[in-house]
Amino acid sequence: MSFLHIHNIHKRFGETHVLKGIDIAIEKGDFLVLVGPSGCGKSTLLNMIAGLDDISEGELRLDGERINDLHPSRRDIAMVFQSYALYPSMTVAGNIGFGLEMRKVPKAERRAAVQRAAELLQIENLLDRKPGQLSGGQRQRVAMGRALVREPQLFLFDEPLSNLDAKLRVDMRTEIKQLHQRLGTTIVYVTHDQIEAMTLATRIAVMRGGELQQLGTPQAVYDDPNNLFVAGFMGSPSMNLVTARIERLGGELVARLTAGSDEVVLPVVRDRAALEAWCDREVIVGLRPEAITDPSSANRQDGVIHEAELAVDLVEPTGADLYVVTQLGGRSINARMRPGSTLEPGQRARFAFDVSRMVAFEPDSEHRIRNPETVAPSEPAVVTSIS
Amino acid sequence: MSKPPSSRGAGARERLQHWLPKLVLSPSFVLVLFFVYGFILWTSYISFSDSGMLPDYTWAGTRQWSRLWSSWTWGIALHNIWVFGLLYIVSCTLLGLLLAILLDQRIRAEGTLRTIYLYPMALSFIVTGTAWQWFLNPGLGLERTMHSLGWESFSFNWLIDANMAIYTVVIAAVWQATGFIMAMFLAGLRGIDGEMIKAAQIDGAPTWKIYLRIVIPQLRPVFLSAIVVLAHLAIKSFDLIVAMTGGGPGNATAVPATFMYSYAFSRNEMGIAAASAVFMLAVIAALIIPYLYSELREPRS
Ligand SMILES: Nc1ncnc2c1ncn2[C@@H]1O[C@H](COP(=O)(O)OP(=O)(O)OP(=O)(O)O)[C@@H](O)[C@H]1O
Ligand SMILES: [Mg+2]
Repeated sequence: MSFLHIHNIHKRFGETHVLKGIDIAIEKGDFLVLVGPSGCGKSTLLNMIAGLDDISEGELRLDGERINDLHPSRRDIAMVFQSYALYPSMTVAGNIGFGLEMRKVPKAERRAAVQRAAELLQIENLLDRKPGQLSGGQRQRVAMGRALVREPQLFLFDEPLSNLDAKLRVDMRTEIKQLHQRLGTTIVYVTHDQIEAMTLATRIAVMRGGELQQLGTPQAVYDDPNNLFVAGFMGSPSMNLVTARIERLGGELVARLTAGSDEVVLPVVRDRAALEAWCDREVIVGLRPEAITDPSSANRQDGVIHEAELAVDLVEPTGADLYVVTQLGGRSINARMRPGSTLEPGQRARFAFDVSRMVAFEPDSEHRIRNPETVAPSEPAVVTSIS
Repeated sequence: MSKPPSSRGAGARERLQHWLPKLVLSPSFVLVLFFVYGFILWTSYISFSDSGMLPDYTWAGTRQWSRLWSSWTWGIALHNIWVFGLLYIVSCTLLGLLLAILLDQRIRAEGTLRTIYLYPMALSFIVTGTAWQWFLNPGLGLERTMHSLGWESFSFNWLIDANMAIYTVVIAAVWQATGFIMAMFLAGLRGIDGEMIKAAQIDGAPTWKIYLRIVIPQLRPVFLSAIVVLAHLAIKSFDLIVAMTGGGPGNATAVPATFMYSYAFSRNEMGIAAASAVFMLAVIAALIIPYLYSELREPRS
């Protein structure tokens, strides 16, 4: 039995069907990150776990116990909000201790607990201040302190870092990850930020329009997406998704892609059995920018490298990498090259494709074309891991 | 400011633009200066003069002021405004807050109810006073209705009871202003972050404690505004009292404003009336000026 079990949960606001049967199960100590475009129902799902919105249909279990109808305060859950939601009229200590006070914890014990939480978050020197006198990052810590102090079974975070500036966001991200590793608590975390999702999660749930698209480890979601949406949504810069024609060439299955006036023919090595059925038809293939490199930095040990010469359209150095834009399958695609490369737009260069990482999708249904043995990890209990 | 090099015509237009607003505003400025501030000064002077039925500019020192403070009616008026003001402010604030909290529970008929509660504020004090005078008049309103419905022993004659009459004025005034105060509190409640309420729910606070500990402390600026608005309405309540009780029975519901009016226009004691008027102005100024000062000084709440 999993620790948090979201079973076929629906949410309707009057006529609008916001969540359409969400199934997620995670274990104790998991860090589940919910990602998805704005309005897909992440906050709604979180609020339902917290008990702030009631559940239209389905079942919610925490540690084996059905908590559908339990009042938020009795669920042993703490939540950190996007706006931090600190109580402006109370001091920081009052804010952190409020939950304990409402639970009638004796004063001395309460003070000790507040002190402990403050030490953990390094905000002891702020305990007597009012929230209005704190910076964004400090407020964020107080909000986390308020959640931590009660030592709940489950933490919920709704975009807790989105109001911070970029630098602070990275720092707090690291801190949240350390906190999770140190305390081993179970966390459900909503974010818009890809990197946050990838770095923090032990499980990622990608949602769209009130439906779960994929649940899996960050690596599985990244490398082995269930459908075109997940492939395009996760990762930045995003996966290159282009049209290709599956053909048989001398007994080999290949994907033929237009490349400007030329063509690139890539051998199919992944999901070959499933792609047999797509012979002489068009599919959409996806390749991450890091699977298209210069020949010298190609990973020949783990990958299957196929080289081709293409025209360089644009060169975009980021410092750590060099993104090279070229035409493939009628689209501009990104390749990630060694930063030192002396490539010029207009020049022709050799590109190395790691075809072992190429994924293919049905053009109409946008489903992944996958070999049957790797079952799609949409069932909560089964989580495939490719890495 | 650096002016771009321009021809004479453009220079003239610029000058005109500079002077036009001042030109347009100056008549009203002069009028206000004369009729408001001029007459404040004039009234202040009168309060130190020998004026009776007509202004008399003979300097009388503080004679009118000491006559004012030894007047029995002025004592009643001060006592009344104190009782009235306190009850009015406290009841309106508490009732307004309570109604706002009840309306904030996302009930269905909220729009309608809000309008209903706000309507009395659209009536003038005179209309309110007259309506309540009819309603509470033992011969006409509530009491008579009850009698005609068969409840013969029903009696509610506060309006003509010298000890209770001031409370009928309080009732009418509270009825009129509560809706407005409610709207102020409702706006304040709507401004409170919903996530904060959710956080408090998760923290395990029951609803009444959420209001007491988290919501109401945040409404402090609204309380302040409500009290200032009500305090100056209380002091301005002249027309309500005139319409409802005319200051009676006897002097039972006299307040400084009715006192001033009757001394100036029916008792021919313009000097005393002027002294009472200046006193009222001083009290209102003492209330309003610090408030305006604090409001205008820091635009942040
Ligand atoms: N009280 C409500 N009544 C009606 N519809 C609602 C209500 N609350 C949310 N919705 C709808 O439910 C959908 C999901 O909202 P939700 O806030 O969960 O999105 P989200 O995934 O958290 O988006 P974001 O990333 O912008 O925070 C939205 O389309 C929203 O319009
Ligand atoms: Mg949201």
